[in-house]
Amino acid sequence: MNFALSIPLEHVFVLAAALFCIGLTGVLVRRNVMFVLMSLEVMMNACGLAFVAAGARWAQADGQIMFMFILALAAAEVAVALGIVLQLSRRFDSLDVDAANEMHS
Amino acid sequence: MESLFYIAAVTALASTVSVVTAKNASHALIYLIVSLLSVAVIFFLLGAPFAAALEVVVYAGAIVVLFLFVVMMLNLGKGSVARESAWLRPNMWILPCLLTVPLFLGLVYVLSGQPVQTAAAMVGPKAVGTQLFGPYLLAVELAGILLLAALVGAYHLGRRYLSERREEV
Amino acid sequence: MDALWLIPTFPLLGFLVLFLSQGQLPKIVVAIVGAGSIGLAAIVALVVGNAFMDAGAEPQTQLLWTWMRVGGFVPEIRLYLDGLSLVMTGVITGVGFLIHVYATGYMWDDHEEPEGFGRFFAYMNLFVFAMLMLVLGDNLLVLFLGWEGVGLCSYLLIGFYHRDPNNGYAARKAFVVTRVGDTFMALGLFLLFRELGTTEIQASLVAANIAWPEGSTMATVIGLLFLGGAMGKSAQVPLQTWLPDAMAGPTPVSALIHAATMVTAGVYLIARMHDIYIISPEAQFWVAVTGLVTLLISSCTALVQTDIKRVLAFSTMSQIGYMIMALGVGAWSAAIFHLMTHAFFKALLFLASGSVILALHHEQDMFKMGGLWRKLPIPFMSMLVGSVALAALPLTSGFFSKDAIMLTAADNPAAGMVFWGGAAVAAFMTALYTTRMILLTFFGEAKTAAHDSSGWNMNGPLVVLCGLALGGGWFGLGIVSGVLPDGGMTTHDHFSQIALVTMAMPLVGILTGWFVFGSSRGDVTQLLGTVFSENVRRFWYSGWGFDWLYDRAVVAPFVALARMNKNDFVDLVFKLAASTTRGVHHVLAVIQNGRLRWYAWNMALGLVVVFVVVMWEVMG
Repeated sequence: MNFALSIPLEHVFVLAAALFCIGLTGVLVRRNVMFVLMSLEVMMNACGLAFVAAGARWAQADGQIMFMFILALAAAEVAVALGIVLQLSRRFDSLDVDAANEMHS
Repeated sequence: MESLFYIAAVTALASTVSVVTAKNASHALIYLIVSLLSVAVIFFLLGAPFAAALEVVVYAGAIVVLFLFVVMMLNLGKGSVARESAWLRPNMWILPCLLTVPLFLGLVYVLSGQPVQTAAAMVGPKAVGTQLFGPYLLAVELAGILLLAALVGAYHLGRRYLSERREEV
Repeated sequence: MDALWLIPTFPLLGFLVLFLSQGQLPKIVVAIVGAGSIGLAAIVALVVGNAFMDAGAEPQTQLLWTWMRVGGFVPEIRLYLDGLSLVMTGVITGVGFLIHVYATGYMWDDHEEPEGFGRFFAYMNLFVFAMLMLVLGDNLLVLFLGWEGVGLCSYLLIGFYHRDPNNGYAARKAFVVTRVGDTFMALGLFLLFRELGTTEIQASLVAANIAWPEGSTMATVIGLLFLGGAMGKSAQVPLQTWLPDAMAGPTPVSALIHAATMVTAGVYLIARMHDIYIISPEAQFWVAVTGLVTLLISSCTALVQTDIKRVLAFSTMSQIGYMIMALGVGAWSAAIFHLMTHAFFKALLFLASGSVILALHHEQDMFKMGGLWRKLPIPFMSMLVGSVALAALPLTSGFFSKDAIMLTAADNPAAGMVFWGGAAVAAFMTALYTTRMILLTFFGEAKTAAHDSSGWNMNGPLVVLCGLALGGGWFGLGIVSGVLPDGGMTTHDHFSQIALVTMAMPLVGILTGWFVFGSSRGDVTQLLGTVFSENVRRFWYSGWGFDWLYDRAVVAPFVALARMNKNDFVDLVFKLAASTTRGVHHVLAVIQNGRLRWYAWNMALGLVVVFVVVMWEVMG
């Protein structure tokens, strides 16, 4: 079974770049922590897409392995980040990332 | 079959834009699931069925659900949408777009300079597994430690009365 | 012979045990380790010395290891034993052991520094180790290492009662002033190495005899530089000012370091390097002059002191002046002989004065003592024996050595009568101030209540040292005669005019002292009572104004210079670096504002910039 017929690699990469840039825009624009985190997920997903596409181009498993590591990273990051979000909302009663600037000298 | 890729790609782009622009967190998460599923389709088309399965199971199934739990725990009321609207004024998009659009155009420019290649090969779960537990074994162990650390960290951060308890001591 | 290395090893081990235990050991263990290590070293020294004499007193060496190899420069840690180093080793371990035993009693209930018992013995053992390396080392580098080691221990022990800032000041003064001498010494060492290509003592002496003709300038320069080193260490004019202040340390320290051993290191150095002085009579002449000047100045100073330990300190300076002068006039063996006898009787005097001081609860002013001879019989007897040996009454140990020195001095072709006359005057003064000290301390009416609390461990060493101070002269000059040229013998027989005058001087001094101080029981001022004599007294009391002079000539300008340069101008360069960093920090602190999105922004911006730059490079 081989679905990978003749998808141009460049198109996949352009898609990945587009997703990445959208995610980056989201990180920069949004003030709500939840949306920032979602945008981060989007960016990481775009990276995974680029890895998998490159792996498919060279018929190597390494791309998918990298994707799996990104997955593990995302899981870890989300677990910790959401814990922080909970604390943030408890302490500042807000989800604004700029609320948590107490470490500012 | 290529058309399937383009359909998935357009779906992914559209849903991702919706994630970033949405004002309601729950809606954004649904859009995120759509985006992730379409990327899973693309993985499948690229000959990476294992990655596609993981994308659905772990990303859409576990991580996003985690988000949903938190959104429910935070109990965002109706005011949240209005607050998002206040935070998300249209002119705030200008500067970030000034950064990201050139980045995107640059990437496209770089990619367009290359000769056209096709992503063709099928890499099954078996090949991934042998690689993963062969040369990448150490990395797997490290990932395991990372997840363990995240588990501990999340447990610690997630305790309800972290600050109050510290004050008691 | 193979046991030679054990002699310095025992004190080193003792030091390590006491130092590493950090005062955790019980006092009795500290006393056993501290005094026992020196005792073992003394026993080994005795055995080694016997074997050495049986084997015909041939110099022997023992290679321990090679220090380093730098091209042709291969200094070896090698021990060298000949008559000279044997005498020194015997004095250091023997007298050192007695002083250590005494110190176990003296320091036992020390109320100023009750926690310092272990520390005290650790320093003392380290000192003995360093001193042994100094005299046993066959390499000028090892000698220098020991030289600095004893300087360090001297510093640590002078400042032993560190709670009083004055003692710390005295310790620093001793350290800095001797450092001046050490600088000369180091320069001499470097010069010697440059000229002869070796720092081995024996090899360099052989090479010096070949390389330099009689009266060579290089030999003179090196000889004078070594003399400078000896001046600092042995408290000779003009680097003598530290020794009286060094009496701030505990009395056993004064006995061991500032009377018996360390201060004689300069004498040892010059005796050890005697070939250089034989090559250069000019350097040797200045050695004699140094000794003579010190001798006279310190004898006068000792006459008017009120602090019993300071009297002994100035007396030590003058006796070392005798030794240095003896070296200068070529009485090599007599100098070392006097070093040995001086170690006996001066250690005795210091320890006896320590007993007195302890009995009077750390009262050191002689004018507050008096009438102690009945209450403190053993210290009194010891002090008396030490004094007659110091004054060189006939048949005591001091008589033999001092007699040999003075008679050889009289033979000196350069200025024999000057040297002899100066020494004779100083002998008179010595007898005078000794009599004064005894009379003030032990006779007359009692002014302070005394509590004799000394046990066998304090009285025992006193008795042994009494024996040595009286009979030490019968050891004779034999031990050192093989190493050093001449036997210190002179053409004068013992009944010539000069010899008789020499012998009579101490007696005249004692009688004068008895006459002057016995009746009025005061100082010289009361006797003369004139403005002139008061001024002389003040001048002598201050040690001939050397402290005053150095204060004006060296310390004050230096302090003024330092004050002028308070904002160190060299520092400006570093301050510039600091202020630049601080300025940049203030700029950067503005961006460090704690806003997450601001950071994300900058990350994205950096990403774009890097991307553009890389693309520019790759795409051309």
